[in-house]
Amino acid sequence: MRTSRKNSSGYPAGIAGRGLAVAALMALTAFAGFAADAKAPIYLGVSGPLTGDYAQYGAQWKKGFDLALLEINGSGGLSGRPLAYVFEDSQSDPKQSVAIAQKFVSDPKIVAELGDFASTASMAASPIYQRAGLTQLGFTNSHPNFTKGGDYMWSNSTTQKDDAPSLAEYAVKTLGLKKLAVFYLNTDWGKSTFDLFSSYVKTFGGSVVDGEAYLPTDKDFRAAITNVSGKAPDAIVLISYDTDGALIARQLRDQGAKAPIVADAAIFSPEFLKVAGDAAEGVYTSSEFFADDPRPEVQSFVKAYRAKYNEDPDLFAAISYDAVFIIADAIKEGAPTRKGIHEGLSKIKDIPSVIYGKLTFAEDRRVAHPQLTHLVVKNGAWTAWTGK
Amino acid sequence: MLHLFVEQTVNGIVTGNIYGLIAVGLALVFGVAGIVNFAHGSVFMSGAYIGWLCIATLRLPLVPGLLVAMAACALLGAAIEFLIVRKTLGSSQMAPLLATLGASYIIDQGARLVFGPYTQPFKTDLPKLQLSLFGATVGSIDLIVAGVSLTAALALWLVLRFTGIGRAIRATAQDRDAARQMGVRVGRVNLVTFAVASALGGLAGALIGIYFNSVYPTMGFNAMMKGLVAELLGGMASMPGAIVGGLALGIIESWGVALFGSSYRDLFAFVLLILMLLFRPQGLLGGKRIPRFEPMTGTLPSLAKPVKPPRILAALLVAAAFLLPLASANPYILQILVNAWVYGLLALSLSLFTGTTGQMSMGHAGFLAIGGYASALLSLRLGIPVWASIPIAGIIAAVIGTLIVYPAFRLRGHYLAIATLGVGGIVRLVILNWGSLTNGAMGITNIPPLSIAGFDFVDVRALYWASLAMLVAVAFLQTRLVDSPVGRALRAIRDDETAATSFGVALGRYKAIALAFSGFAAGIAGAFTAHMYAYINHETFGDQVSILGLTMVILGGLGNVWGAVAGSVLLLGLPELFRGFADVRYLVYGLALVLIVRFRPSGIMGID
Repeated sequence: MRTSRKNSSGYPAGIAGRGLAVAALMALTAFAGFAADAKAPIYLGVSGPLTGDYAQYGAQWKKGFDLALLEINGSGGLSGRPLAYVFEDSQSDPKQSVAIAQKFVSDPKIVAELGDFASTASMAASPIYQRAGLTQLGFTNSHPNFTKGGDYMWSNSTTQKDDAPSLAEYAVKTLGLKKLAVFYLNTDWGKSTFDLFSSYVKTFGGSVVDGEAYLPTDKDFRAAITNVSGKAPDAIVLISYDTDGALIARQLRDQGAKAPIVADAAIFSPEFLKVAGDAAEGVYTSSEFFADDPRPEVQSFVKAYRAKYNEDPDLFAAISYDAVFIIADAIKEGAPTRKGIHEGLSKIKDIPSVIYGKLTFAEDRRVAHPQLTHLVVKNGAWTAWTGK
Repeated sequence: MLHLFVEQTVNGIVTGNIYGLIAVGLALVFGVAGIVNFAHGSVFMSGAYIGWLCIATLRLPLVPGLLVAMAACALLGAAIEFLIVRKTLGSSQMAPLLATLGASYIIDQGARLVFGPYTQPFKTDLPKLQLSLFGATVGSIDLIVAGVSLTAALALWLVLRFTGIGRAIRATAQDRDAARQMGVRVGRVNLVTFAVASALGGLAGALIGIYFNSVYPTMGFNAMMKGLVAELLGGMASMPGAIVGGLALGIIESWGVALFGSSYRDLFAFVLLILMLLFRPQGLLGGKRIPRFEPMTGTLPSLAKPVKPPRILAALLVAAAFLLPLASANPYILQILVNAWVYGLLALSLSLFTGTTGQMSMGHAGFLAIGGYASALLSLRLGIPVWASIPIAGIIAAVIGTLIVYPAFRLRGHYLAIATLGVGGIVRLVILNWGSLTNGAMGITNIPPLSIAGFDFVDVRALYWASLAMLVAVAFLQTRLVDSPVGRALRAIRDDETAATSFGVALGRYKAIALAFSGFAAGIAGAFTAHMYAYINHETFGDQVSILGLTMVILGGLGNVWGAVAGSVLLLGLPELFRGFADVRYLVYGLALVLIVRFRPSGIMGID
């Protein structure tokens, strides 16, 4: 099915050249008014943050989408029709995401929707997509109730259910660190990860001696760090995103805390290394994929991503890249229509995925059990952890 | 434990120093020009980026790098004053406030376009030593940051105390008219004040960048909020007060985090702020009297008369609004209008409290949150039908809102504004931290839709008619209220509290009436939103919502029912209209705001 993208030869020049050709072709089609014929693009709607507090995540999404589109359209599109997306900036603000939802559902050329980012924006729009029968693929929505919004809500987001046990196992069983102090984001994602994590730590024979909840807007962790250091933990666990995780790591080291840091998969990104600087050294984490992962789908993705953007991908870029291929595969299984995609999603089976290796949606319209690899930062780079 | 206490206190002092530096800039501008400079946070962010550019990228040493950042921000501040604020001075006190808000949009969005949305690490060559003090560890960067900010504050004090321009600034702050009569060129003083304040704001930004090792385009808003609180703690328009206020805020936050955790940081600060306002409203260093000079009183009402459409036209407009979904069924347009009608309720609510009664509120999002959570919980947990839970939620918002704001009624102008900002923050943080009732950070899911006699209001047209009906009903009641003797009493309070009291108007009672009505309107707006979204969490109604509501009211023309609705339609419509500009649209929005204020300083529905 998707082996074609592994075969594509001639990176990077080939990709860039093809991209231009496709863009030109799409522009021609759009302006010449050839719509509705067999060569007209298939449009996906994206609702996400391009401005405002979460703008950086929207920027990462775009990189993942664009790369996926280059590959799909470079190998002839879907039955000869190119795939394209319309990105509407919502700032991850619910009053804008509901308006965008109405815009997409009333536009017959949109056949599926991707996003939004924050739970409040995504889930406020869900009822509109559900009623209109337009698939909402919330590819970053880990909120346990997201896919319960209706049978048109699907998610290939990684979830707490997979990340939390893996994190607890890595810290307690693999690394043998028993007394843990935790920093966690006080959001739906962070809180539920923390709760799950704590119960797994107990099962594995460790203990959580301190849990410091913080808000996404917090930048100053010094007071909390002083608290944590007072508990003399074996290790400090971060249930954080990349930037806030990096700030905590940095401030921990600046304040002379020497305990090892074990972090949730969500911090895995070049951004973490950039912001944390030398404080990133020795940080443990797990990730669904990393640059040296030998899996072919990861290698082809990382290679293409580096060629196009001259940097390493992060989790958000990888998952948005996957999201486009999920829709593309659903179209192949079903049809390039709203109904066809909805039906196709339940039919796709073991399609290649950067995050999951092989991806199939379960009953609850989520994907279970990504393969997590244990990593550690060595000489400023993510490397596989090989035991001390 | 002593060393932990010392460490927490040192943490607090360093952050507090920077809060103080932000607050000094705000206090300077407030003292001299009499306005809250909403662009101050953006100048702070610019200072951080310029400092980063000089020190981390061009590898300039610390002091020259900081000086360049200060100089650049001084220019930026002067430009804000000269190009944007100056044009709006003298019309109404609210116009420059909006103008600075517009400027902040332009600067923030500009920074994102130039530097990208990503966080940049702020690398410096500063020594990273750990010093020991009573067994506590203190970093050398802490000392450098604290030292630089104290030096800057001292330099400012010297300038204000001993130089000619310093004397002119102090004179203008004390009495603008008297200063003018004594030959002070107050226009030039305004310009210099903006420049000096912005230089300090920029320095604070660069220091925060170094201290937290990160700069990013949206770092200004929160910093400005902290600066406002610090400014008020110290006593508005007092320079030493601002520093002391900043230090107090920093230390209290630090202790608060130590005792309760980071999620309670702001809760602690806000509760303290409100206690402070109640028992010592003149601020920590404000002397014994309540400050005599409070530029907000008597200036809140624009001198403009509201445009009132004739009855026939009004009836036609309402009828046209009701018939619109039959003519155009574009759900996107209808959804924007649903948002506009719901936010119109918020704007009406603020228009009554801020416009008619003259009590500025920056925390109305708190009422929406109370209404939204109350209605969601009543319908989900107690099974109360939604058509009943929405008005009950309105009443709950009115009662709780009036009770928590009531003690602050003796505050005026900016004091009340910041007290209400605190109330809004407290409501949000209580929702976040009271997990057993509100489900905490997870939010409330599966909120049922509004349903009457078996008909679910889920289709956008049904939502449109329901929200419009609510808006028209509240607008009608509010028009009657404003035209009644009660309304006259409210306007009397706005125009002159002392005179109103001497004519027998019971201030507390009338303010409570206004706030209860206002809380009800905002509460049903929040409740309607909750049932429309089906999911809400503590972030659904944030500070930005309060500020947006206030912007609508000022833009529409204060105390003006039609203006409030027009402001809502305009401010929700413009960002959608500007979608063609892609990621530049909020820059265009800021520009539009500045231009509207420039040419309609009394609001779009006001006549000078």
